[in-house]
Amino acid sequence: MPSYTKEEKAAVWLDSFGLDLTKKQKLYRLAGGFYPLAARFHALRKGIEEIVGAERAAEMERSLTAQGVRSLLEEYAQKGVTCVSYPSALYPEALRHIPDPPLVLYCKGDTSLLGTRKFAIVGSRRTRPQTLKQTEKFAAGLARAFTIVTGLAEGGDTAAALGALAVGKVICVLPYGFDYVYPACNADLLAKVVQKGLAVSEYRPQETVRNYHFPARNRIIAGLSEGVLVVSAGAKSGTRTTADSAFAYGRDVFAFPYDIGVTSGVGCNALIKEYAKLADEIVDITAAFGINLTEAAEEEPPLTPAERAVLDAVGEETAHIEEIAARAGIPAHELAVPLTMLQMKKKIVACGGNRYSKG
Amino acid sequence: MLSKVTSFALAGLEGVPVEVETDIQSGLPGYELVGLPDAAVRESRERVRSALKNSGKNFPARKVTVNLAPADLRKEGSYFDLAIAVGILAATGQLEPTYTAGYVFLGELALDGALRPVAGILPLLISAKAAGYKKVVIPAGNAGEAAYIEGIDTYAASSLSQAIDHLSGFAPLPPLPVARYGAAIAARQEKFDLSFVKGQAVAKRALEVAVSGSHNLLLVGPPGAGKTMLARCIPGVMPAMTFEEALEVTKIHSVAGILGEEGIVTSRPFRSPHHTATTVAICGGGSRTVKPGEISLAHNGVLFLDEMPEYHRSALEALRQPLEDGVITVTRSGGAVTFPANFMLCASMNPCPCGNYGSADRPCTCSPAAIRKYRARISGPLLDRIDIQVEVDSVKYDDLVSTRAEESSAAVRARVEKARAVQRERFEGREGVLTNADMGERELRDFCPLSRECSDILRLSFERLHLSARARSRIIKVARTIADLAGEESISPAHIVEAVSYRTFDREQV
Repeated sequence: MPSYTKEEKAAVWLDSFGLDLTKKQKLYRLAGGFYPLAARFHALRKGIEEIVGAERAAEMERSLTAQGVRSLLEEYAQKGVTCVSYPSALYPEALRHIPDPPLVLYCKGDTSLLGTRKFAIVGSRRTRPQTLKQTEKFAAGLARAFTIVTGLAEGGDTAAALGALAVGKVICVLPYGFDYVYPACNADLLAKVVQKGLAVSEYRPQETVRNYHFPARNRIIAGLSEGVLVVSAGAKSGTRTTADSAFAYGRDVFAFPYDIGVTSGVGCNALIKEYAKLADEIVDITAAFGINLTEAAEEEPPLTPAERAVLDAVGEETAHIEEIAARAGIPAHELAVPLTMLQMKKKIVACGGNRYSKG
Repeated sequence: MLSKVTSFALAGLEGVPVEVETDIQSGLPGYELVGLPDAAVRESRERVRSALKNSGKNFPARKVTVNLAPADLRKEGSYFDLAIAVGILAATGQLEPTYTAGYVFLGELALDGALRPVAGILPLLISAKAAGYKKVVIPAGNAGEAAYIEGIDTYAASSLSQAIDHLSGFAPLPPLPVARYGAAIAARQEKFDLSFVKGQAVAKRALEVAVSGSHNLLLVGPPGAGKTMLARCIPGVMPAMTFEEALEVTKIHSVAGILGEEGIVTSRPFRSPHHTATTVAICGGGSRTVKPGEISLAHNGVLFLDEMPEYHRSALEALRQPLEDGVITVTRSGGAVTFPANFMLCASMNPCPCGNYGSADRPCTCSPAAIRKYRARISGPLLDRIDIQVEVDSVKYDDLVSTRAEESSAAVRARVEKARAVQRERFEGREGVLTNADMGERELRDFCPLSRECSDILRLSFERLHLSARARSRIIKVARTIADLAGEESISPAHIVEAVSYRTFDREQV
């Protein structure tokens, strides 16, 4: 079991009742600290009752024994959960300064990542395949300077996590406790994140996912990070709340630019219109932080003349196989080989419906 | 007085001889039919009575007992009418009993005495011939299919009186002339031709490869992309059926009663059951006598499942075993019947629930979870049996392709036949292996050795494209077919890569 200070233990104890954040804040202010709240519980009883009600106060009193707090911490330790609470030295400084900092961050994985420089990459679930590839590239590139913070949703978040995992520095912020995995298809990814990076949640392990947890989780993503890159967002996307929080906290917000009519990018363009910076190269982001990432010399896989011709024909936008055929002057049914080879060489991405784009 | 005439009953695809015994006794006028007849057989009384009267004969005003032996075999259908009528005539002395000796009678009677065609004549004739019968009287409407059976004299009568006149020697019918299959096959015309399909070069190429190695095919594309049109072209691309194949198909279609005028099926069947079809409708079955299902009707041809995820899960899963074995054994309390079911499966589906995934002009509104759920409706084991998965798309390329001449089915078929010939030679003496798709582990080892280069590229494609591991042998089989189409002895890396491109569905979505 990790060692906690009295103040930390008291904070974890206070968090174990599932109280609203405002009530926890009021209790903290009432007692002038977490440990004083526990130590002077009887003296403060009246004030506590006013905040949480008599029933809840009685429940808190019952659990307020040395044995009760120890078993709580042991239970968390057994689940492999480390509690980084507000009084903890590990608690990220940036997160302290948001208006509603979480009391406890339940952590699984390498908690030292909380002390590194962090940058968030978020995206919606509906993200185009070519954008997913770009997101992976950006995440891998930025992971050389930052720890990448993201959610665990499908689509953009998953791509960001995968890209960052290749380098190893990733923090996933979950909108539910560690007893659950959502979406279920990302169970493997979560396991990898815990193994090589860090998973964080403000919810106690037994708390399941609720729709209002998502915007609350997004504020933590924004609060943890120095900046946020939005890779995709529809007109009414949840990634919007991450960007808005980040902007409110004074973080730099970046967004991928999109073509007119791409539904998965409407929100990104709206962000750029309002306050976000356009990012279409990694350097757009690193320059804002005064970081100079020397481009790792990428090994250029050799291309055959046919592959070269096809790659040129794919062009900048998504192209249909017949268009590629016409441009490259190769019959469409003979394109299978160069197109598949180019995908294997990570030069292009299949976007479904026999369409391809550079990626 | 007692008479005995012979008819045949259908059990699955086989005919069983049935002795129709008729006895006339004194007593109150009545008619008793025994021998486990079903409703259609029992109702023959009214048809026979009227048919006799309207053919200028008498139905005896005495007690008539008809026994269909063997008595424990269930009798279904209407083809005993003629035998019962002839039996009554013989028993009442209106027809010399010896005239009926050595004959088999099949056919349904109309009230006016005309003979109506019945289902299943072809398999009944084949069984009658095998049982040593030399002469059969059948309805004139079944002459088309009957003409393809050699070595048995078939007399096609259009009415009961014509049959009686033939038996009594008053106006003998000539035996049916034997039809030539070659003439029929030459006259066949496919309704759908690949030259009608504009563009779709990728899908067409995939179709050619699929037919060459008789690989099963999955077409993925938005609504209106032309998936059905492409699928309908498959029979025309397949090599022409041999007489034996055609006879097998005709037999099944005859039993199912869907045989057309031409008598023998010359075009490879194309069956496309609706997605509401039950497992029994697809696999065959029935409560008493077992009828062939869609997979047997598609024998030697194509079974097309349009919008595959919409089919009942149980119906789809039931396809797995026949896809492996080429036959289906339907077991009922009355016994088990085996029907051939060696078909090429062609399925189509939308890429996602809304159908627009990957479309340029219409945005897809499905979440990744919804897409995954939709695709998961086709189980892994079934998907495993579909070697080629290819995307069909709905682009209007009129301006791109209007000048280009599209290849005809015949041109593609010529290449397919060449590739099939290579396979026939290769698999000479290998039991149960006719095409590349049939290859097992042993054949893969013997005929598909991979060079180091090929293995490297295959490993790379698994790594980079996130293919599932079970796709490996499928890819090698398809690569073998591509090499055969190219007329090459060994598999080259290009063949492997093309085969990999036909596994769009295997790739894990990020």
